[in-house]
Amino acid sequence: MTNPTTTVLAAGSELNEERIVALLKRTAPFEPLSDQRLREVASIATPVYLKKGDLIYTVDERSDDVYVIATGTVEHALGPSAQATQLVKIVGEADVIGWAALLKNKPARLAKTTCLQDCEVLRINGQHLIEILAHDEASGREVMTCFAKMLMNEFTVPAWLSQVQELPRKVKVGADGLETANLTGVSLTMFRIAQWLKSPRPYLMLLGFTIFIGLWYLLSEGWHVWRFDRLPGPVEVWEEWTSRNPVYGISLFTPEYYTHIWYSVRRIAEAFFLATLLGVPFGLFLGWSRKFREYTFPIFETLRPIPILAWVPLAILMFSGTETPVIFLTTLASFFATALNTMLGVESIDESYPRAASCLGASKWQVFRHVVIPGALPHMFTGLQISVGVAWFSLVAAEMVSGQYGLGYLIMTSYTMVSYPTIIIGMATLGIVGYITSAMVRIAGDQMMQWRVRELALGGSQ
Amino acid sequence: MNAVIQSNAFEAKQRERNMNTKGTKGAIRIEKVDKVYDPEGAAVKAVDTCSLDIGAGEICMIVGPSGCGKTTLLNAIAGFHSISNGTIYLDDELLCGPDKPKAEPGPDRVVVFQNGALFPWKTNLENVAFGPIMQGTMSKKEAFEKARDMMASAGLNGSENSYPGETSSGVRRRVEIVRALMNDPKVLLLDEPYRALDSLTKSVMHEALLDIYYKNKVTIFFITHDLEEAIFLGHKVVIMTTRPCRPKKILDVDIPHPRDYNVLTSKRFRELMDETMEAVHEEAMKAFERGEKEG
Repeated sequence: MTNPTTTVLAAGSELNEERIVALLKRTAPFEPLSDQRLREVASIATPVYLKKGDLIYTVDERSDDVYVIATGTVEHALGPSAQATQLVKIVGEADVIGWAALLKNKPARLAKTTCLQDCEVLRINGQHLIEILAHDEASGREVMTCFAKMLMNEFTVPAWLSQVQELPRKVKVGADGLETANLTGVSLTMFRIAQWLKSPRPYLMLLGFTIFIGLWYLLSEGWHVWRFDRLPGPVEVWEEWTSRNPVYGISLFTPEYYTHIWYSVRRIAEAFFLATLLGVPFGLFLGWSRKFREYTFPIFETLRPIPILAWVPLAILMFSGTETPVIFLTTLASFFATALNTMLGVESIDESYPRAASCLGASKWQVFRHVVIPGALPHMFTGLQISVGVAWFSLVAAEMVSGQYGLGYLIMTSYTMVSYPTIIIGMATLGIVGYITSAMVRIAGDQMMQWRVRELALGGSQ
Repeated sequence: MNAVIQSNAFEAKQRERNMNTKGTKGAIRIEKVDKVYDPEGAAVKAVDTCSLDIGAGEICMIVGPSGCGKTTLLNAIAGFHSISNGTIYLDDELLCGPDKPKAEPGPDRVVVFQNGALFPWKTNLENVAFGPIMQGTMSKKEAFEKARDMMASAGLNGSENSYPGETSSGVRRRVEIVRALMNDPKVLLLDEPYRALDSLTKSVMHEALLDIYYKNKVTIFFITHDLEEAIFLGHKVVIMTTRPCRPKKILDVDIPHPRDYNVLTSKRFRELMDETMEAVHEEAMKAFERGEKEG
């Protein structure tokens, strides 16, 4: 396939080899090369003559070639998708444009380049150039490093975008060599955190918390507003929470506090595990098999709206002890959320995907394994996040009714024992631990759906 | 520049050589096919006694107004839908007929879908290697190797390890066509594959498709409602009536392959356009008056 832009270029012969070598010698990236290498580069360079207003290349085209400007000036305007420090610039003699041809993933052109005058330009095929550079370990590396540095100066963010292609041989990186690390999970996270700190979001969040706690303080301890005067104030709660000798027996320094947390977390883990183990396959089958769905979905939908508290008497009747009823109730609530969302996930899969798979020779089971399950994952993980939330909700309800230990139990007994600050400690702890569990599910989801993370990181093109 | 011209001439010669030998497999014979949706109720006739012969290695373009039932025909060949009457043969083997209303979908007839159906959860390379791995005809390693080669020869190197969601729509379509060709299909079934692309990308895609065709010589059944596209690409252009669908006019495009964009401005191309425009327009008007929905 010929590059469509080549049709506007006309051949010329006035740029002879000597002039080309002299020109290359003056360009920043090619400077370190020996004369012999420069002559090799010159041999793959095609001189082209352009008229004022001609396009050299434009946004989204394939990038095969690098261009060196011999005479004239060219306007280099970056497209909307590029995150650059400078959007439009004018380049002239001995400048090099079209570096995308040397990048690792050969991204499409990011800029539109227009001749402002009649120009003489050298076109150099990126792949051939890399082959030549690969013959010359030391200076070849220097040229690539120079390219990388120029890119880094130009573009603000995507370091991963400016990875030059590695020369095919193992080349030792000098001390001043640029690290062209791959975009790993850690660097992506660091990048996100840096972006987050630069945005106003964390400061707004802090402000929100400050206002909330300030209001709480004024209503309770500050002004003793009617009704709020019974509420333990933030200072009292904080002092109790961080005291080595808590008045009511529960603080960060008492082992009992952690026993309560441990009990609740363990119950959540057990219930969530059970609910996922049962709910995901159930949801998958609900979505996959129409017959199965007709049997079971009506029952499912009748049981689902029954509040978890209404199940308490049955749970106590059916299961002896204090532990099993609590687990049963928590599992039940999570199960419904997981199963329903998994089913919706299966339903959301575009029918072309299973069709395409069967076209490519996949059996029914393979379609299930390679299309239905991964296709349902995004909804499934939404379901799992809801499920963790619902699990906490019903756990606390269940712990209040029956059970020993646990944060719900702590809150309820603190009420009967008139240790009011402990109620707030229990509630705040629930909030924090609940947030952490939900974040863990989200992170697990991101790990399993790299494709989605990467798609969204690019702004999602679909 | 001289060298460039020479290499173009060389490529052209090679193309010509390829063109002289059309493919030998993938002839489709459609005989008096009917398709009625909901026969006991609304009884909507989508396809009506449709007969059509497509030669092996031929690019057959199906043109018709939106909702005329051309996709129904494609689905019948692919094995997604049953037919109510008639028979369809592939290389004289029965695909579907009176005793077997629905064909089995299989890797000898691969569909490229209107909105693209690359699996977004697999990388482009994994997508391309999917067919042979599922069929068990290749080990994973072999499949990945072949996939890499095929992508490279289609000019798609560099995007192997990206996910489809990270690549441009033009690249996605090409990857999808390569994924189909990985299975050595007899027939490629394309259902308006370029509908969602902008016109610039589309023109590049046409050349890419012809390029792939000259290398693989597979029968192509291509649905479109763009007459220009149809005449530019096809050996044969079949203009369908509005629903129920049946061939109204069959045009043999006598512009020799290999073709490039100069064809669009040639006299013969314009003549063929004029010759068929009226037939297409007539059907489009009928469909419009009946208020057919897109599809």
